[in-house]
Amino acid sequence: MVGEEIVTSGSTSCQGCGHAILARLAFKAFGRKTIFTLVPGCIWITLSRNIPLFSTGTVFEGGGALVSGITNGLAARGIEDMNVVAFYGDGGTADIGLQGLSGAAERNENVFWICADNQAYMNTGGQRSGATPKYAQTTTTPASYIRRGKRTKRKNLPFIVAAHDVAYVGTASIAYPSDLVGKIEYAKGLKGFKFLHVQSPCPTGWGFSPSDTIKVARLTVQSGIWPLFEITEGNDFRLTYKPRELKPVGEALGLQRRFRHLTDGESQEIQSRVNGQWKQLLEIDGKRLPY
Amino acid sequence: MIEIRLHGRGGQGAVTASRLLATAAFLEDKHSQSIPMYGTERRGAPVTAFVRIGEKDKMVRSLIHEPDYVVVLDSLLRKTVNITEGLKDDGMLILNSSVPPEEIELLKPYKVATVDATGIALETLGRPITNTAILGAFVKATGEIGLESVIEAVKQQWKGTLGEINVKAVEAAYEATEVGDPKIVAEVVGEKAPAGSRADWRTFRPVVDLEKCTGCRLCWVYCPEHCIEMVDDKSVIDYAYCKGCGICVEECPVGAIEMKSESERGE
Ligand SMILES: Cc1ncc(C[n+]2csc(CCOP(=O)(O)OP(=O)(O)O)c2C)c(N)n1
Ligand code: SF4
Ligand code: SF4
Ligand code: SF4
Ligand SMILES: [Mg+2]
Repeated sequence: MVGEEIVTSGSTSCQGCGHAILARLAFKAFGRKTIFTLVPGCIWITLSRNIPLFSTGTVFEGGGALVSGITNGLAARGIEDMNVVAFYGDGGTADIGLQGLSGAAERNENVFWICADNQAYMNTGGQRSGATPKYAQTTTTPASYIRRGKRTKRKNLPFIVAAHDVAYVGTASIAYPSDLVGKIEYAKGLKGFKFLHVQSPCPTGWGFSPSDTIKVARLTVQSGIWPLFEITEGNDFRLTYKPRELKPVGEALGLQRRFRHLTDGESQEIQSRVNGQWKQLLEIDGKRLPY
Repeated sequence: MIEIRLHGRGGQGAVTASRLLATAAFLEDKHSQSIPMYGTERRGAPVTAFVRIGEKDKMVRSLIHEPDYVVVLDSLLRKTVNITEGLKDDGMLILNSSVPPEEIELLKPYKVATVDATGIALETLGRPITNTAILGAFVKATGEIGLESVIEAVKQQWKGTLGEINVKAVEAAYEATEVGDPKIVAEVVGEKAPAGSRADWRTFRPVVDLEKCTGCRLCWVYCPEHCIEMVDDKSVIDYAYCKGCGICVEECPVGAIEMKSESERGE
């Protein structure tokens, strides 16, 4: 994997943090001509000092406005060759940051938004977010005899963004670094709004051994829980990883303490939903989405 | 009133240890407080917690600056964190260490208790979580709390097997703890670590077998700390920054990397 090393050692993220692996791969792909922005979260607190590029941060709600302002300011000064990167968590993207994301996407601002999705508000101790999957335990969705973890499914974030008809939407995984880096290298050359939704397993919040970060990421892709795809030119859909056969979801879920309470019936429900979704994705693979 | 400061690393359970100790004191009809020091403690990062035990009308609600006891859950932490800061002259250190008290280097003649809590935790729990073992050492070394009270607090915290194996950890540490006088030195030579070093976050260190390494670079690609360099097509780890997560061990396709316990280096 080529690309200059930008992220330095010595961050304060947990042992085995997915965000740390993602940051290194992503900034290798962006290169030095990059400005990145922050909203509150683990990336800002534990990692941002180890990314020696120009950066600035704002309140949770302000991420979309911040990148929009920067890119328009640069354009006004005739600077066209900088990557303006939003590097936010799922809270800063899917929940609190959603209105700003939608505004920037609708205006097709020339920015690159990466959502580092660890599926909860991890910096504040792991509260559920709109990106937390169904049944997952978080500190605000404990499992007990009356509750089974989170009650509802996670938002379908890439399709929400795609519905804005933007330059690029993709999903990626840190277990598939060449797919991830390839997507950034391709999309950073496009003008307009680029969105990459990267799963970022969190050993602390999901409850797995720090040595298993890549293993968990890989198993979720191989089982279809985290499909890899991209949507180009507004609505051109393509799966970028198509195993002939999906692995059962049990292996990926079994490694994570947040799913330890699952009954067979609940695991089966997750399995059938994943199967159904995968079938739909195969049907639209290589086709234009209907909008 | 006695005041205790605990040092550990995120994931070793220092905050739980402080709670267990306060609960054990409470079970003995004493007044107690468990005070976690909240920050952004990440798994592996140094963590501090406090316990205060005393009588009702003498209790205050401040942080503890001059403890009577300092309890250290991690064996390497004392090389990078100033663990004796503010410790009263007649105070005592209870250390997780595989060496006897006489080999612990200190500036002042504090009483020292040592126990190989990591070894005991690995034997009893199968994981290097040292919070219950170190409590066994605290009981033995200080006599401030009864062994039965600590065991009861542990049983209240964890039911079933988890409770049982933690009780075993407490008992094994109680048996193995040694109390003595440290080696007094003019200067404690800490590890010379570069800025931002994370060396003290590790319990295990990955060691590469250069014979087996095929130079595939997978460990280099996935290491979250960017502390692996490929030198002549072999994986070389910078131990100043390796946090000991074990991803490289898990991902190496030929099993060329092995985790070795840090304390085996001979402290
Ligand atoms: C408006 C507002 N609400 C709450 C907070 C507190 N807060 C800081 S970081 C954080 C969690 C961030 O979660 P996410 O965006 O998913 O990032 P992660 O830490 O999980 O990477 C919260 C709730 C805040 N800073 N601002
Ligand atoms: S809580 Fe999770 S996302 Fe945050 S630093 Fe730790 S491992 Fe990384
Ligand atoms: S993953 Fe294993 S074989 Fe490959 S470079 Fe690293 S140590 Fe060598
Ligand atoms: S254990 Fe391996 S992967 Fe983890 S920080 Fe150390 S060298 Fe990197
Ligand atoms: Mg998050």
